[in-house]
Amino acid sequence: MSDVLLKNITKKFGSVTAINGVNSQINSGEFCVLVGPSGCGKSTLLRMIAGLEGITSGDLLIGGKNQTNADPAKRGVAMVFQTYALYPHMTVKENMSFGLKMVGTKKQEIERKVSNAAKILGLEDLLDRRPKALSGGQRQRVAIGRAIVREPKVFLFDEPLSNLDAELRVQMRLELSRLHARLKTTMIYVTHDQVEAMTLADKIIVMKDGNIEQFGAPDEIYSDPKNLFVAQFIGSPKMNILNGVVTKVDQNSAQIILPDFPDKSVIVKTAEPLKPSAHVKLGIRPEHFGQTGSIALDMVVSLVENLGDLRHVHLQADGLDSNLCSLLREKMQVTANEKMVVRFDPKDAFLFDSETGQRLR
Amino acid sequence: MSSRIRTYLGEALVLFLVVVMLLPIFYMLAMSFRSASEIAAQPLGLPTSFDLENYSNAIGSMHYVRSVANSLGITIAVTFVVSLLGSMAAYPLARKSGRVGRVIILLTSLSLATPGFVTITPYYVILNNIGLLNTYAGIILVYIATNLPLAIFFYVGFISTIPRELEEAARLDNCGDWKVFWYVIRPLLGPATATLSLFVMLAVWNDFLFPLLLLTDDSKGTIMVSVYRFLGNFEIKPDKLFPAAVLASLPLLVLFVIFQRRIVSGMTSGAVK
Repeated sequence: MSDVLLKNITKKFGSVTAINGVNSQINSGEFCVLVGPSGCGKSTLLRMIAGLEGITSGDLLIGGKNQTNADPAKRGVAMVFQTYALYPHMTVKENMSFGLKMVGTKKQEIERKVSNAAKILGLEDLLDRRPKALSGGQRQRVAIGRAIVREPKVFLFDEPLSNLDAELRVQMRLELSRLHARLKTTMIYVTHDQVEAMTLADKIIVMKDGNIEQFGAPDEIYSDPKNLFVAQFIGSPKMNILNGVVTKVDQNSAQIILPDFPDKSVIVKTAEPLKPSAHVKLGIRPEHFGQTGSIALDMVVSLVENLGDLRHVHLQADGLDSNLCSLLREKMQVTANEKMVVRFDPKDAFLFDSETGQRLR
Repeated sequence: MSSRIRTYLGEALVLFLVVVMLLPIFYMLAMSFRSASEIAAQPLGLPTSFDLENYSNAIGSMHYVRSVANSLGITIAVTFVVSLLGSMAAYPLARKSGRVGRVIILLTSLSLATPGFVTITPYYVILNNIGLLNTYAGIILVYIATNLPLAIFFYVGFISTIPRELEEAARLDNCGDWKVFWYVIRPLLGPATATLSLFVMLAVWNDFLFPLLLLTDDSKGTIMVSVYRFLGNFEIKPDKLFPAAVLASLPLLVLFVIFQRRIVSGMTSGAVK
């Protein structure tokens, strides 16, 4: 059992509340990703789980045991830092064995564990090198190796890939996935990169301003966001948002006009008791904003990003205060400044309250 | 002015400064090979031969080995204790204490500004009262007290540049404060310790006043006090004074050569990422 339970966890720095009564459960063996913009409190929460930051109030349970005030080394967690935090005066082998030495593990046992971790991570030839003689990817592996040898109940990763170049980041992401499949240990991973979150996670926790906005499986978060923040944060390019005003309400649907596109209206399925003239936001994912659908909008192409197999077409329209984006897979020719008709299907649209940002289902 | 001329002028200035700095050393070396009568007749003249007689005479009349051993023992003991205690005191000041720590650092840096001679009388009285006057332990304690503020000030600055994540990683590796300091922080202080050691060694080795007053027994005198004995009230013995001065500088020169690489890296550490 190595599940992690957060019960009403709060962290205050003086008068500033960094974490605001967070509740969540990370199941044993789960790969959980904490994601959110800079300053949302995700790293603070991870450090609180590690014991590197005190918990102002609330309870932290690891493997069913209350670890709220336990010493970092006694919690059964191992952490991989963004900057790797390898001891520069020690070799790779010494770095990996240091934690075991500190708890008085026998020499033979240390040797066995270090060589096992080195084998898993392909570090066998680097054991006598110092960190400064290693590349970024190798340092990252050593940092992971140092965590593995301790055989922790929970692995904690604090933006471990953010210092690597794009290619290495993809490679390490795959290696982390394989490692999790192999070790089957609970892993909690902090990132602001939603691609990392979507590709690695069994469960994503989306955070904002010290609060959990939503948690669930990546597909669930993507296809069923609870609010406008989550809808826009998860997904790249981010969700297109159109302003709308409710004109007519039926039992299971509402007619919404789009003030930025005169004479255009959409009928959206919703069971919410909406009032006529209520302001709403309509969210459409870029992949659903293209060449098919019953609603057609006249727009102007502002920029085309060619990614090879697909293109991100950025669009503008009179009165629209932000760019919209269409994800095109078709081979049609699109150039900047030309007019383009973009279509979408109302069933693919998400409806949000303009004021609260909450999803209207 | 073209950049080439500016470069030449710059180099000429550096060369001039080097000559100014080396001139006294050259003078000391040149005089050490000349007889007293030669120096009296022509104070700025060059030696006509490189006879080592002056050196053997100086060594014979100044208890050279004994006084070098005294200086070496005191210097090494002070440097070791100052660097150890200084780093141990600096770690919590750099990392843990808030306002209180800043006040302590401020007081420490203020004590650096206190002129040394102001403290001589109190030190003399204290050592006399506790029975440590004219003992190695007494003068070592005094030197530790006078050099510790420099060490603390020095280490606080250096430790502040060590990433906190290293300590956090060590805490997760089952290290308490002491183990974090001993196994993670202390080994990283090598370049800083080498630089600090140089400053402390120079200060202690070259000091004249404290050993003269606090070590009254001739056999306990340091090398600087021995050299000074050739400067009498009514006469100077230049044929012994200059070789003695050269001999007094030698051990320090050897230490500097040994530590040079680490000292330079300590002085430049933190300059680039």
